[in-house]
Amino acid sequence: MKMASPCDGTLSPTEFKFAAEALMKKWEECKSILHPWIWIPCPKLPFGAPDKAGGYLSLEHIHHFEFKKQQDCIEQKYSEEEVEALDSATLVLSGENETHYYNFHIIYSTSYKVPVLFFRGYHQGGQPLKCDEVEKDLPLYTSKLLEESKWTFITQEEHPYLNCPWFTLHPCGTSEWMRLLLQQRLYSSRPEDLCSHYLVAWFSVVGQVIGLWAPLNLVHCSSSSSSSDTFCSHT
Amino acid sequence: MAESTVLQFSPFQSHVEEGFWKRLSSLKLNTLGLDETPVKITGFYGPCSHAQVSSHLYLLDESLPANLAEESSSSEMVLGNRNRCPIPGTLYNTNTLESFRGLDKQSLIRKEAKKIWEEICSGRVEAACAVLSRFLVISYADLKKWTFHYWFAFPALVLNPSALVSKLQPASEWFNLEEGKSLSEACNEWRKSSLTAVPFFLVIITADSHVTLRPLKDWETCQRDGHKLLFGFYDPCHLPSNPGWPLRNFLAFICSRCKIEKIQFLCYRERHGLADLTHSLVGEALVSISQEWKNPQFIPEAVGWERNGSKLAPRRIDLATSMDPIRLAMSAADLNLKLMRWRALPSLNLDKLSATKCLLLGAGTLGCQVARMLMAWGIKKITLVDNGRVSMSNPLRQSLYTLEDCLNGGDWKADAAVRSLKSIFPGVEAEGFTFAIPMPGHPVQAKETAGVLEDCRRLQNLISSHDVIFLLTDTRESRWLPTLLCTNANKLAITAALGFDSYVVMRHGAGVSADDKDASFSVCSSGIEGHESRRLGCYFCNDVVAPNDSTSNRTLDQQCTVTRPGLAPIASALAVELMIGILHHPEGMNAPGEMASSISESSSQPLGILPHQIRGSLSQFSQMVLVGSSFNRCTACSNLVVSEYRRRELEFVIQALNHPNYLEDLTGLTELMDKARSFNLDWEEDDETDIETVL
Repeated sequence: MKMASPCDGTLSPTEFKFAAEALMKKWEECKSILHPWIWIPCPKLPFGAPDKAGGYLSLEHIHHFEFKKQQDCIEQKYSEEEVEALDSATLVLSGENETHYYNFHIIYSTSYKVPVLFFRGYHQGGQPLKCDEVEKDLPLYTSKLLEESKWTFITQEEHPYLNCPWFTLHPCGTSEWMRLLLQQRLYSSRPEDLCSHYLVAWFSVVGQVIGLWAPLNLVHCSSSSSSSDTFCSHT
Repeated sequence: MAESTVLQFSPFQSHVEEGFWKRLSSLKLNTLGLDETPVKITGFYGPCSHAQVSSHLYLLDESLPANLAEESSSSEMVLGNRNRCPIPGTLYNTNTLESFRGLDKQSLIRKEAKKIWEEICSGRVEAACAVLSRFLVISYADLKKWTFHYWFAFPALVLNPSALVSKLQPASEWFNLEEGKSLSEACNEWRKSSLTAVPFFLVIITADSHVTLRPLKDWETCQRDGHKLLFGFYDPCHLPSNPGWPLRNFLAFICSRCKIEKIQFLCYRERHGLADLTHSLVGEALVSISQEWKNPQFIPEAVGWERNGSKLAPRRIDLATSMDPIRLAMSAADLNLKLMRWRALPSLNLDKLSATKCLLLGAGTLGCQVARMLMAWGIKKITLVDNGRVSMSNPLRQSLYTLEDCLNGGDWKADAAVRSLKSIFPGVEAEGFTFAIPMPGHPVQAKETAGVLEDCRRLQNLISSHDVIFLLTDTRESRWLPTLLCTNANKLAITAALGFDSYVVMRHGAGVSADDKDASFSVCSSGIEGHESRRLGCYFCNDVVAPNDSTSNRTLDQQCTVTRPGLAPIASALAVELMIGILHHPEGMNAPGEMASSISESSSQPLGILPHQIRGSLSQFSQMVLVGSSFNRCTACSNLVVSEYRRRELEFVIQALNHPNYLEDLTGLTELMDKARSFNLDWEEDDETDIETVL
């Protein structure tokens, strides 16, 4: 698919879908240790025109290992007799390391005409992570980057389809740095490739901020093995 | 493991997604109400796919029926997919925390265990094996605090005596190379097929190392065929020495239905969506069928309440940040301002803004607009003072009021305004006070004195407890006392006043300090009165008469209730923007007044110039920025007046209220006027113009 406006860093809804498919394909090809992105088709939004992008990309249940055990807030102690007798066949696990689970969605923003990364973290069991807990999980260089850069910052926004607040990397600067990224490729590749390369290039930047390492070969189109990472997959 | 030990199972772990709680909340609000009938739900799980983390039993929003009518009509389970085997469950939702805590847990688990046992005995398990992992959840939804208390139980039929394990090793060691390859292929095939949402299956290994997977219902035929037989299941557990919980009921089924006591099982685990034979386990369990089980009336004991950490206790999840609409509104408002800061104005001091306390004297056309604008800028503390009631014509021009507020004689404006502000933005700290501001020229009757003094004190206290005071009343004289008090307390005062088609918005100069040297300034012979160059003027600094009763004989242009509607929003907006400018200026209140032409000043402040006065006219669609110094004979802010106030306080105020001439005498304006009148001007008598106030 030829990109309509490769020079300004934005893409149209149909281009987004195309680029998404290209990302999914490339991701699988590279045999990432993370499991594949899934395309979630969208229901029609209640007001206004149907979503031309038609859906979004989802990568869920990514682990982040936490090496401190969180304190359980137990309100009332129940005696064993009250609930059930101790059973010899049950393995009782002592202090486990806490794991955080993250869900990532790549959603097209119609107002900014760029993809936006939405993410949400949870404790084991389902309690959502608070902003400061998420920030602790991010790689060290990210918090510095977030403070300094006027192009990358995390905000909490309403998820366009799921009706609850998610964290996002605010998209207002995306078209600017995408334009710079794409300019390099503009001269070396065919226009058709530019569109399919869009999300891959975008992800190579955004993923790093979140600590969601793209496999090295995703961007470089070679088949080397992927690096170990902060996040691991859990299907 | 050399000798047989008791087989220990790793308990199932639950994970409830937010969507489930949201759907439960809306079900409860719309359908269930106080009904405590158990609700059929569906849990989902898949085989473990990670070496270090077990997989969980998930509750998603699809776990609950969208409405309860749907539930009874379809006995089919929710469709799963390869990673989400549907497991039937029951939800017992209670209406109070006490009833949640008081539920009889032993009887509940026994009830579910009974269902499982009956399904084993009746043969239902062979048709729909997921029922072996049937579970229950008890819950209490606190919809005021958006917290949910819950507790899962995964009933496991207790084998008596316990099952023993004689062998447990990775599958790759148990199967030979060919078998292993065949098993992987078979599993991957199976997992890709439509049959895959089935967590229990049979593994048949023929003599020629060919492996096939078969559904449970084929167990009889498979036994007869005589090939090697393994009982396989999706194992959520990741541990290398323990199988997962689903195996417990599976063993119970196998020994009671298939009558096998030496059971070889496969704990199926995956990696990257494919069978992982090093991670998967194969073991041999020794189960003895007890006599009791042969008794048709018998129901085995069950265990399986989920532990919270290592304790048997319920869990609690707090979803206020994502479900409480008030919190959501507040974080959205916050985001708006932050974006402004990030993208356009990095020097915007949002913390300072949200900590600034604003007092609005007057809750009319100006007051309502100013209040809204302040909230838009992130000001959280807003106090309104007005002595009137909302009247029928008000809602049109006074943007906080609606028809409701006018009924039954009309609510007090201060109260109605506060209500309205809170309905727009629940995070605002708004307070209203209904009392009149004492005014010079409106003499105080003896019996009213105590009340008026009380009002003066209230005004004093309000001014001292706020940071910025907006003078938004509808008469000139009502601005006198606030101006004096603000000057005395050195508080930032911003005035907005309207004429028929003109407005003035200005910030008062800083307060007078006790040792201000400009106490007296003699009249120059040229007749031009000297103005203090340092301090900026107040609303009254341009006047040469003291404020007096303007209401009785108002000329048309002094009745600001009859003004062009466009004026109030314009003036109010300017007043608030002026305040924002002051708050961001390094000198704050003491900043000098700037004009548009002062380019050098304006380039240093990101918000632009900081004017002293803005005077505009709608008839010309024009606006002027002016600077006026303080007048050392000002009836409101001059050192003469302020020091007299400090000396005699409220006694002085009463005197000024009752005798406006007093102020003129005190400041020497009387003298000035006399001098001016007696000034010998070289023009005709009939051209003499009275010196009047300007606005």
